[in-house]
Amino acid sequence: MTTVIRTTALNKIYEGSLRSQDVHALKDLNLEIREGEIFGYLGPNGSGKTTTIKMLLGLLFPTSGKIEILGSEAIESAKIKRNIGYLPEGAYYPDFLRGEEILSYYGRLYGLRGAELNKRVDETLELVGMQHARKRFLRGYSKGMRQRIGLAQALISDPKILILDEPTTGLDPIARKDIRDLLVELRKRGITLLISSHELLEVELISDRVAILFEGVMQTLGTMDELLTQRELSMTVEHMTDEIAASLEEKGIVVEDRTGIRALLRLPQKLSTYDAIELCQARKLNLLSISPRRETLEELFVRIVGSASESREVAQ
Amino acid sequence: MNYLSSAFGGPWCVAVYTYREGIRRKLLIGFLILSLLVIFGSSFITSFVDPTAETDIDLKLIKDICVTAIAIFGALITVYISASVIPAEVETKVIYTVLSKPVSRVQYLLGKFLGIQLIIIVNLLLMGGLFFMALYIRQGIMPTLLLWSIFLTYFEFLIISAFTFAVSCAATSPLVPTLQGLFIYITANLTEYLKDVEHRAGQTGQFLDEAIGKIATALYSILPNLQNFSIKMQIVNGQPNDPPTDVMIPWLVLYSLVYAVAGFACAYLVFRRKEV
Ligand SMILES: Nc1ncnc2c1ncn2[C@@H]1O[C@H](COP(=O)(O)OP(=O)(O)OP(=O)(O)O)[C@@H](O)[C@H]1O
Ligand SMILES: [Mg+2]
Repeated sequence: MTTVIRTTALNKIYEGSLRSQDVHALKDLNLEIREGEIFGYLGPNGSGKTTTIKMLLGLLFPTSGKIEILGSEAIESAKIKRNIGYLPEGAYYPDFLRGEEILSYYGRLYGLRGAELNKRVDETLELVGMQHARKRFLRGYSKGMRQRIGLAQALISDPKILILDEPTTGLDPIARKDIRDLLVELRKRGITLLISSHELLEVELISDRVAILFEGVMQTLGTMDELLTQRELSMTVEHMTDEIAASLEEKGIVVEDRTGIRALLRLPQKLSTYDAIELCQARKLNLLSISPRRETLEELFVRIVGSASESREVAQ
Repeated sequence: MNYLSSAFGGPWCVAVYTYREGIRRKLLIGFLILSLLVIFGSSFITSFVDPTAETDIDLKLIKDICVTAIAIFGALITVYISASVIPAEVETKVIYTVLSKPVSRVQYLLGKFLGIQLIIIVNLLLMGGLFFMALYIRQGIMPTLLLWSIFLTYFEFLIISAFTFAVSCAATSPLVPTLQGLFIYITANLTEYLKDVEHRAGQTGQFLDEAIGKIATALYSILPNLQNFSIKMQIVNGQPNDPPTDVMIPWLVLYSLVYAVAGFACAYLVFRRKEV
């Protein structure tokens, strides 16, 4: 599989002014984003996601290290930029223009003209579901509509790479689902997507690989299957009593949720399915369901970030 | 041709966008309306009140007021728009979406600068056009001298605009470039006075005097002399359709272009590696 974006030992230090200290926002980042994947770029606030993305686009300059996009280090050349669409975090789009005017402005900046431009404007408006509002001025748009126009301007040139900084922040559940579906649709068309987000559930649903960043250091990177391997069993049983619950907890079984006689149990990894059934039989529990349970991305995130911030505190 | 359209197509789009955005600024519209009111008020109202009582002095006064109004409001518009276009685009983050497109930084700056010039020119034409009509209606002679004055005033503003723009590329808000632009406009219109200061300060030999003299000399030699661009006296005193005398128009245009190129080059040097 070809690599479309590669960073090698990338560092960024924001120089402090008289009153503020230098900020080492990114430390020796090595990242490889492969063709056609959705790459989830995660990390708590201030971990360096936006900093990385802005360097990829030539808006910021690396303190040291190397960036290659589509095999070229000349990331500021028009030839490379033509292939990239970018949705910035929390950007504003000019209020005095109509939806379609904004898109044709951005389309012209990509060198599109005439019939080709009109065709692309139509197609992207259709793609993001904004055909109905194309003649309206942006000042009358809702947040969700603005975000869709933002996506449309990123897509106007039919790019090979799409870089989205928090594409669904502040949107309602329906709009989020629409955008998620759109992103999956774009991947089907062969577009590579780099998405920074705090919406872990969404990222888990659509990403092929994720990376977690903490204070400018890459903590982990891999496919969902690689990272979320810890499989445990989860069981739902009936006829639970306090004594039984206590005896189960002695064996390391966690009673996660108990309403009346019904309970949800989480079994440690060392116990097999047979052990679980035996346990139930021995205690006269009625087994309703049993299923393997994968760690969620949210749990992984909390675990990784938690241990990273602990080890930092120890170091201090 | 293809090469030209790919090199200048981007800047032209940015320029048109900048123009459309800038022309809607409230402050700019305010300045424009005020100046039009001054021109309209001074040149029409007096004659409506009592046309027969009008004297030559009145007309001179009106011309003086109007030319000054165009110069002052025009300069305010020039400084304001040149100082705020780049900082505003950084502030609203629109710059991220533009610079991430296949538009190089020099093309982007060129587009912004051209857009600013379009705004200045349109405003000058509106103000000058109204005054032109007013004069024509009053005197019945085409006031072609006024057109020359507007032309030269634009080249004066071009210098101010280029330097304010350069400072705005380094600034994070429009405040500093606005103040700097006004400072340049005012001092560069007072260069004759600076020369005078230079002469007189040298006479006593006291330290403070000498220092003031040095500062005046430095300012005098760096700053462009903007008074050269004004033909107000001729407009006030002369015939409306005289050709402009006392000024070397091609030389002034060249002078202005040299300053503008230098200002733009400074802007590019600052902006080339600016982190946005
Ligand atoms: N222009 C700047 N000057 C100085 N420090 C900065 C600047 N921009 C960002 N930083 C610092 O760099 C670090 C990384 O910021 P960045 O915006 O990349 O984080 P992020 O991961 O995008 O966070 P969020 O999830 O909140 O968007 C932070 O500590 C931030 O304070
Ligand atoms: Mg961010």
